[in-house]
Amino acid sequence: MPLLQVEDLQVTYSPRDSAAVRAVDHVSFTVGEGEFVGLLGESGCGKSTLGHAVLRLLEKPAAITGGRITFDGRDVTRLDEDELRPMRWADLSTVFQSSMNSLNPVITVREQFADAIAAHPEATGGKVDVDERAGELLEMVSLDRGVLRRYPHELSGGMKQRVALALALVLRPRFVLLDEPTTGLDVVVQRDILDRLRELQRRLGFAVLFISHDLGTVMEMADRVMVMYAGEIVESRPAADMVVRQLHPYSAGLLGSYADPRDADVEVAYTPGRPPDLSRRHDGCLFQPRCPVAVDACRTRHPSLVPVERGEARCLLLEGPAEQAAHGGRQGAEAAPGTASAPVPPPVRNVAVFSTTADSRGREGGEPVMTVEGVGKTYRTKRGLGFTSTRAVRNVSFTLRPGRVSALVGESGSGKSTIARLLTGVERPSRGSVRFKGTRVDRLRRSALRRYRRHVQLVFQDPFSALNPTRTLAYALGRPLRNHLGMDGRQARARAAELLETVGLSPAEQYLDKLPSQLSGGQRQRVVIARALAPEPEVLIADEPISMLDVSIRAEILELLDTLVRDRGIAMLYITHDLLSARLLADEVMVLNQGSMVEHGPTLEVIGDAKDPYTRRLLAAIPRPGTSRVPAMAGSPAEAATGGTGGAEQRPPGI
Amino acid sequence: MTTAHGNATAAAPAPGADTESVGIAALDAGKSRRMPGWFVILWRNGKCRVGLLMLAAFTLVAVFAPLIAPYDPRLEDFATSEAPSGAHWLGTTAQGEDVFSQLVHGARTSLLVGVVAGVLSTLIAVAVGLTAGYLQGVVDEVLSFFINLGLVVPVLPLMITLAAYAPVKGLWLIIAVITVTGWAHGARIKRAQIITLRTRDYVTAAKFAGDSTARIIAYEIVPNMMSLIVVGFMGSALGAIGAEAGLAFLGLGDPQTVSWGTMLNQASLGGAMTTGQWAWVVAPGLVLALLVTSFTLVNFGVDALSNPHLRED
Amino acid sequence: MTFFVRRAGFFLATLWAAVTLNFLIPRLEPGDPAEALLARLSSRTEAVDPAQLAAVRKLLGTPDGNLLQQYWEYLGALAQGHFGVSYTYYPYSVTDVISEAMPWTLVLVGVTQVISFAVGTVLGAWAAYRRNSRTDSLITLGSTFIGTLPFFWIGLLLIFVFAITLNWFPEGGGYGGGSQPGWTWLFFSDAFQHSVLPAVSLLITGPIGWILGMRNNMVQNLGEDYARLARAKGLSRRRIALTYGARIAVLPNVTGFAIALGSILGGTVLVESIFNYPGMGRLLLEAVSNKDFPLMQTLFLFTTVGVLLANFLADVAYGFLDPRVRRKEAA
Repeated sequence: MPLLQVEDLQVTYSPRDSAAVRAVDHVSFTVGEGEFVGLLGESGCGKSTLGHAVLRLLEKPAAITGGRITFDGRDVTRLDEDELRPMRWADLSTVFQSSMNSLNPVITVREQFADAIAAHPEATGGKVDVDERAGELLEMVSLDRGVLRRYPHELSGGMKQRVALALALVLRPRFVLLDEPTTGLDVVVQRDILDRLRELQRRLGFAVLFISHDLGTVMEMADRVMVMYAGEIVESRPAADMVVRQLHPYSAGLLGSYADPRDADVEVAYTPGRPPDLSRRHDGCLFQPRCPVAVDACRTRHPSLVPVERGEARCLLLEGPAEQAAHGGRQGAEAAPGTASAPVPPPVRNVAVFSTTADSRGREGGEPVMTVEGVGKTYRTKRGLGFTSTRAVRNVSFTLRPGRVSALVGESGSGKSTIARLLTGVERPSRGSVRFKGTRVDRLRRSALRRYRRHVQLVFQDPFSALNPTRTLAYALGRPLRNHLGMDGRQARARAAELLETVGLSPAEQYLDKLPSQLSGGQRQRVVIARALAPEPEVLIADEPISMLDVSIRAEILELLDTLVRDRGIAMLYITHDLLSARLLADEVMVLNQGSMVEHGPTLEVIGDAKDPYTRRLLAAIPRPGTSRVPAMAGSPAEAATGGTGGAEQRPPGI
Repeated sequence: MTTAHGNATAAAPAPGADTESVGIAALDAGKSRRMPGWFVILWRNGKCRVGLLMLAAFTLVAVFAPLIAPYDPRLEDFATSEAPSGAHWLGTTAQGEDVFSQLVHGARTSLLVGVVAGVLSTLIAVAVGLTAGYLQGVVDEVLSFFINLGLVVPVLPLMITLAAYAPVKGLWLIIAVITVTGWAHGARIKRAQIITLRTRDYVTAAKFAGDSTARIIAYEIVPNMMSLIVVGFMGSALGAIGAEAGLAFLGLGDPQTVSWGTMLNQASLGGAMTTGQWAWVVAPGLVLALLVTSFTLVNFGVDALSNPHLRED
Repeated sequence: MTFFVRRAGFFLATLWAAVTLNFLIPRLEPGDPAEALLARLSSRTEAVDPAQLAAVRKLLGTPDGNLLQQYWEYLGALAQGHFGVSYTYYPYSVTDVISEAMPWTLVLVGVTQVISFAVGTVLGAWAAYRRNSRTDSLITLGSTFIGTLPFFWIGLLLIFVFAITLNWFPEGGGYGGGSQPGWTWLFFSDAFQHSVLPAVSLLITGPIGWILGMRNNMVQNLGEDYARLARAKGLSRRRIALTYGARIAVLPNVTGFAIALGSILGGTVLVESIFNYPGMGRLLLEAVSNKDFPLMQTLFLFTTVGVLLANFLADVAYGFLDPRVRRKEAA
């Protein structure tokens, strides 16, 4: 019997003033004792809701409206709060999505361990030395025991996350739900926490349901992966199998968005479109509008989850041969290995891809438009009676040339955002010079600075903060046109429409009078790009323009930026922490570590042959599903429980 | 309920600041109908609707007071200290004036003070709050100091002292005193709000689009804090109505103006309680309470919109 | 430590501002209150102490000397504790008169405010604990409704019902004709009798702000991630409500308490006026109606300084209660 069994679960949000939403729809799955299961999906797909339902933590207006959750033979859905309480934390514990806020701010870390222990005398046998148990767990997550005496606000994000992980394990639970446990942390820190987590899981043998939108991480960590789309599970298979071949086109699209930046030719896929509105009824396949391989039947028939190979998938193309024949069949069917009853289609080809080859990058470009020479920036902060100075940027030099993309790679705090502020004249360097075609940017004031900004525009990270929620797109795009290009209202509107068409929002007339709230994240980012292009700038600074977007559309936005910049001969500084996107877009890469440029050169050279240890660490932190998967330890509980599905060594040959 | 947001609305992730979402909601709501968006939203809230209707009733009474009141409120032609009767629904005062007529005219004073002092102190609060929050630095330090000072100084003693020194007594003096002493709270809240809003990327974007600071404040920031400004205005108006009644009750108001506060003052001095004229004492307090209630009910609507935690499930 | 230094700095700055405001207000007036008062004082038959006259001059301003010099002298007079002589209570000095009235106000306000804060915080927490239940709506709607009643009007009704109609309590005053102020049982029981109605009228509306503030803060805290995690930890509802809700929610109320003191003192003026209670509020009104400017100025100064001091103490208390403030500033 599995440890956790979810059958036909339905969760519905019924807000007072809008239509009910089926956030989780007929979901069934199991988690075996000691198994590590990944639950993958993009924002809004229902994965966190599912997690909260399993923990019975749903709050109004969300409620379980059907199905059953059984934990260790007990039907959790029927228990009331008093009956659930002894099971909580002792059997099922969790690490929340934003651990930044999941610790009580006014009590010490020790007290937060102590109250969990005190609430469960039955699980601990009454006598537990809080300091000993908590201290031991903190050491397991590489924290000092002294952290016990601290308050949450005295800890960094990464430390809080480790505390949350240690806290989840304090009662030796049999099941831990991890809901995006490392979102928002620096990649290197993420890597470290996840490695530690996997190790602990093997050692202590608890089962894990790992919720994430980050496919690479899930694929690497989990024994089995479930992919969720629009409230349904669309594919559920051993990670090793899924890495090799994805049965659902959505999974294929997600996995296609990963690649090794060190390869000579890099190709990433994306899935245009957006998830369906779940408050409406849909007859056909929910993925059909975005599906690259959809057939006519997909529009009218809702596929069911059918067993395929060693797992399940939800796609009409995988259902019985009779139906396939009726729906026009699938091209080039080949006999599936393993299971005779359920034939397997060939791996889905992603139609939309963004690719780059070894020789397509690294052009020289023309004369530099922007020259940064020996720039340094020191911040002085008041501290008590004296000052402390922080050197945010040290002696950085580079140039930006028309039609070329330079990537500035580093983690938060590396000084990359400071460099952006220096280039735009928001701040002045303490040392060195910033030149725009002979003008000293660091000496511009007021109106000269305003005129200069016409030539240097920004693409922001967060598409939800970058557009004023109360202003229409026509207004947002019209402002730079009127101010910088001196257009009147009618001309500005006409140009705004052209710009929207340029960034793929077509027909523009439909969009001009919309508010940002009526657009998806990807569409908003297109508007942000259009606004940056409006005053016909010569330099574009894009600060992590894709990091807040769903994985399935990131490459789409990158491709758009690529086309626009090169067609218009704009010099772009692409700021990122992600080497893969830098590889796809940039001609040259600069790696920044603690304010200093540690590596600088043509993209392929820097990424393909990293010399600096810091660059190598960044490279190592990139998840590479299917290529660097840690082999499961022989005889681990995971393998025993799931019949040995979790080994990389079982990967079919040829990959 | 971050989860509810994140998952329920598949297409639109949780909006940023609450006041911003109100702005969008208001614009969305306004599109479909002829009414202004904020009105549609307020109207949908049951409590708020009752409050708006009550407020409308008070306004009508105030505007048409001369038509509604049976007598001139200052006319001293009647028998003194009479109990309620058919001719004098609420009796007469110790000077022989009709209490009901005074009550009707009192609505004018209260609403006038509420609206004028409310608008003026909201304007000061917005101006000080916006300047302090947007400019920061030394300007902010200085203005914040004045805001904090205005918050802690005991308001009524200050009002009394100011009113006592003033050479002329009158309604406008009362309004001025109330305005001068009542802006600090609103200014503090608006300053805090603008500090969050000014770091939004769209403000930076507007700078890069070449917009001036004034335009950025007027077009990018203020529309996103409208609900806060409305709540602030309601609060100031409420405070002003109460303060006027209190000052008038203490005998510091304008003796020439008929207001509910002066009515209570005269009822107390005129021995309404010893002569058993309950209507003279109860009526002004009750209508004052009803007026305050109507403001509070409207505020429920505005408040609940700007703070999802207060929304009823 | 920096936190406390900053708060002390703010206290001193506001103190200075209040003292200066007190200096400026009478001088903003077009007439000359000091001369008018001096004229009235000298028309008395008794001899007026010249030192006291000088103090009045410094307090209210005289035409001689420039403003800066006047300000300097004013500060000097304050530093030496010379606040002048009361016109109404001549020949008593202003400080004498005020020290007579102060205990009455301090006891009435102190006791009722502490009770209001305690009751309000507990009721607000209770409403949040049982949120969306009947108890919750009863508490929130009830207090919202009572909050709309003008509270000097409540005072009038109390007198009407309990003093005049039922004759349970005296109509007003601080103590009856039968007793004299002193450490006697008769006096205390009499003073208590007299304080019941004023105290009740303060207590009816007093807790409302705390109830609503506490409830809203706590409901918000209980919706935060840490409260959800506490539920996942299997803590009891009581424990979550206390440690993860109330304990955090009460903190803003502490600063709120300090800020509210100013308006509370304003309310006392009304109550003391209605009940003819011999405290500082009534004294202020008396001073206003008699144009007793020295008394008025000094009362304003004393109340302001008192409120500022209470504020400072509340800030310090907050610093000790909230680790986020204490540790962050210390780091």
